[in-house]
Amino acid sequence: MTTRMKLKLKTVFVLYFMVSLMGLVYALMQLGQRCDCSEHDLPKDRAISRLRDELHRLQAQIRKLEATKQPQKQPPKSSLPTIFVITPTYARLVQKAELTRLSQTFLHVPQLHWIVVEDSPHRTPLVAELLRKSGLAYTHLHVPTARERKLQEGDPSWLKPRGVEQRNEGLRWLREDRQDQNQQEVVYFADDDNTYSLQVFEEMRNTQRVSVWPVGLVGGMKYESPVVEGGKVTRFHTGWRPNRPFPMDMAGFAVSLRLVLANPEACFDGEAPMGFLESSLLKGLVTLDELEPKADDCTKVLVWHTRTEKPKMKREDAMQAQGLGSDPAVEV
Amino acid sequence: MPKRRDILAIVLIVLPWTLLITVWHQSALAPLLAIRKERFAVHHHRLSDEGAEGKKEAGGQDSKEYCASDKDIVEVVRTEYVYTRPPPWSDVLPTIHIITPTYSRPVQKAELTRLANTFLHVPNLHWILVEDSQRRTPLVTRLLRETGLNYTHLNVETPRNYKLRGDTRDPRIPRGTMQRNLALRWLRETFNPNSSQAGIVYFADDDNTYSLELFEEMRSTRKVSVWPVAFVGGLRYESPKVNAAGKVYGWKTVFDPHRPFAIDMAGFAINLRLILFKPQAYFKLRGVKGGYQESSLLRELVTLNDLEPKAANCTKILVWHTRTEKPVLVNEGKKGFTDPNVEI
Repeated sequence: MTTRMKLKLKTVFVLYFMVSLMGLVYALMQLGQRCDCSEHDLPKDRAISRLRDELHRLQAQIRKLEATKQPQKQPPKSSLPTIFVITPTYARLVQKAELTRLSQTFLHVPQLHWIVVEDSPHRTPLVAELLRKSGLAYTHLHVPTARERKLQEGDPSWLKPRGVEQRNEGLRWLREDRQDQNQQEVVYFADDDNTYSLQVFEEMRNTQRVSVWPVGLVGGMKYESPVVEGGKVTRFHTGWRPNRPFPMDMAGFAVSLRLVLANPEACFDGEAPMGFLESSLLKGLVTLDELEPKADDCTKVLVWHTRTEKPKMKREDAMQAQGLGSDPAVEV
Repeated sequence: MPKRRDILAIVLIVLPWTLLITVWHQSALAPLLAIRKERFAVHHHRLSDEGAEGKKEAGGQDSKEYCASDKDIVEVVRTEYVYTRPPPWSDVLPTIHIITPTYSRPVQKAELTRLANTFLHVPNLHWILVEDSQRRTPLVTRLLRETGLNYTHLNVETPRNYKLRGDTRDPRIPRGTMQRNLALRWLRETFNPNSSQAGIVYFADDDNTYSLELFEEMRSTRKVSVWPVAFVGGLRYESPKVNAAGKVYGWKTVFDPHRPFAIDMAGFAINLRLILFKPQAYFKLRGVKGGYQESSLLRELVTLNDLEPKAANCTKILVWHTRTEKPVLVNEGKKGFTDPNVEI
C-alpha cells in the first residue's frame, strides 16, 4: 500500500516540479520581451514617446534630405575652399551677445573655420564655452594688446587702432598651421559687431588674390564701395580720405590664403595713421588692378558695419556702490 | 533512504517557487533600475551638451520602452550639417509665433538679416513681421522671401502724434504697440481657439540678441513663461524672483519693481491658446507709463502665480537687450553722396 502511495506521491511531485519548471522558464522568457506598458501608460509618457519618434523621424528625414541635396546643388563639402574668419574680440558686457549672434550666422556657412583671438593674456572661459557649444569648427587664440596701445576708458573709438595684434596673431597661426594645405582657402577679417549676410561668404569663396565688395553704414555714409569699370576696380567711392591706397573697411575684402603664405611679412601695422590699417596690409599683397570685384560688380551691400551701443549701467553702478549689484556669477 | 527522498522531494518543490519569486521580483525592479540609469544618462547629456557631431547615442539608448513615469527628457541632438533653409516642419512641436515690429531706418536690413540668420535655426518658427509704414516696403518683402522662413508680413502705420518726435527716446510713447496689437489681432482672426494647434507667442524686437536655447525653453509654455533679460533697466540683467517652490513672487529690478509685471518685452512668452481665449487682451495704447507696457497686456492674461519660470529657474541669461548704434552718416551731406538706388 505504502509503496503505491509513495509512488503516487512521487509522480505528483514530479508533475508538480515539471509544471513549476515550465512556469519558471515561461517567466524568464517573458522577462526578455518588451514590456507591454499599457497599465503604466500615462498621457505624458505617450506624448514623450510620440515626440521621440517624431524626433527620430525628422532626423532620418534630414539625413535623407542632405544626402539627396548634395549632388544637386553643392559640390561635396571637402572640395569647397575653407573660409578662415579671423575675429578679434575683447571682454565687455555685450561680448557674449555679439559672439552668439555671430556664431548663429556662421553656422549656416559650409566649410567655415572661425579663428577667435581674444585681447587677453589668457583664454577666458566665457569664450571657450561659447565656442565649444557653437557647433562650429574653430581655433581659440589670445594675445593681449600692449597697455600703451590700448584704448582707455573715455577714449573715443578712433583714437587708437583696435584688434591689430589679434588679427596679426590670427595670420601667424594660419602661416604656422596651414603651410602644406590646399591653398584655395580664403581669409576674412570679421569684427564681432558687424552684420554679415550669408551671400557675402559665397561671394568671397573663390578669391584668387584679394576680392572686394561694398560695406554698408561705414565711413560716415550709407555705404562705401569700390567703383568697378570694365570689370576692374578703378577707384573707391568713399566720403573720407579717398586718397588712401585702399580706402576700405576691414569687412570689405578677403585675401586668399595663398597670398598670405606667399608674403610672410605682410601684416597689419599698428603705427599706421587712422584709417590706414587695411591699406597697411593690402599694399604689401596686391595692387589696385589686381582686385577682384564681387557682389555684382560692387553694386550690392552684403555686409554692414553695425555697432552695438554700450548698455547703460548707471543703476547697476549705483547698486554695486551699495553692495547690491546683480549676481556676478550669472554670466551675461 | 525515504528521508532522503522526502528531503529531495521537498527541495524539488521549493526550488522552482523560490526561483520564480526571485525572477518575478527582478522583473519588477529591472525597469526601475533602467529608468534611473536612463535619467542619469539623459541628465549627463544636458550637462555635457551637444557637440558638432550629433549625439546619436541618445537615440540608440531609448530604443527600449520602459514603463516609467516622470521622465525628464530633453534631447537636443545637433547633427553635423549646414543648411540655409529652416529645419523641416514637425507635426508635434508647438509653433513659435514671433511678433517683430520694425520700421525703416538705415540699419533695418542689417538687423532683419541677422535676426533671420538666427531664426533659420529654429524648427517650427513662424515670423510675423509688422512694419510701421503705410504699405509694405519692397525691402522687407524681398528679404522675407529670400530667407525661406515661414512668415507673415503685415503693416500698420503709427499715426504721427504717437510717433517719437525725431529720434529722441521719449519713454512716454511706447514704440511698436500698434504693430504688436495688429499681430495679435491677426492671430485671433487666423487661429481657431478650439483647434488643437499648439502655439507660443513671443515678442522679439529686431535689435535684440537671442540664443537658440531660448526658443526651446519657451516651447513648453502652458500659460505665460518668464526668464531673465540682460541689459535692461540699467542693470546687467533683470530677472523674476523665484522662490524655492519654483513660483515667481517678485521682480529683481531697480526701476519700479512694483509694477504688476516688471519685465521686458523679450522676457516672456504666451501660449497661443491664452491669447485666443482672451480676445480682449491687447497692449494699452494711450496713457501707459514708461515701463508699464508689458503689464498692460499681461495683467489681462495671467496672475503672478501662474507664471512659469524658465532658464533654470531664472538663473541663466538667454536673451540680451542689445541696441544698435545709430550710424553716423555725416558724409552723406544734404544731397546724399551715395547712390540712393543701392539698397542697404
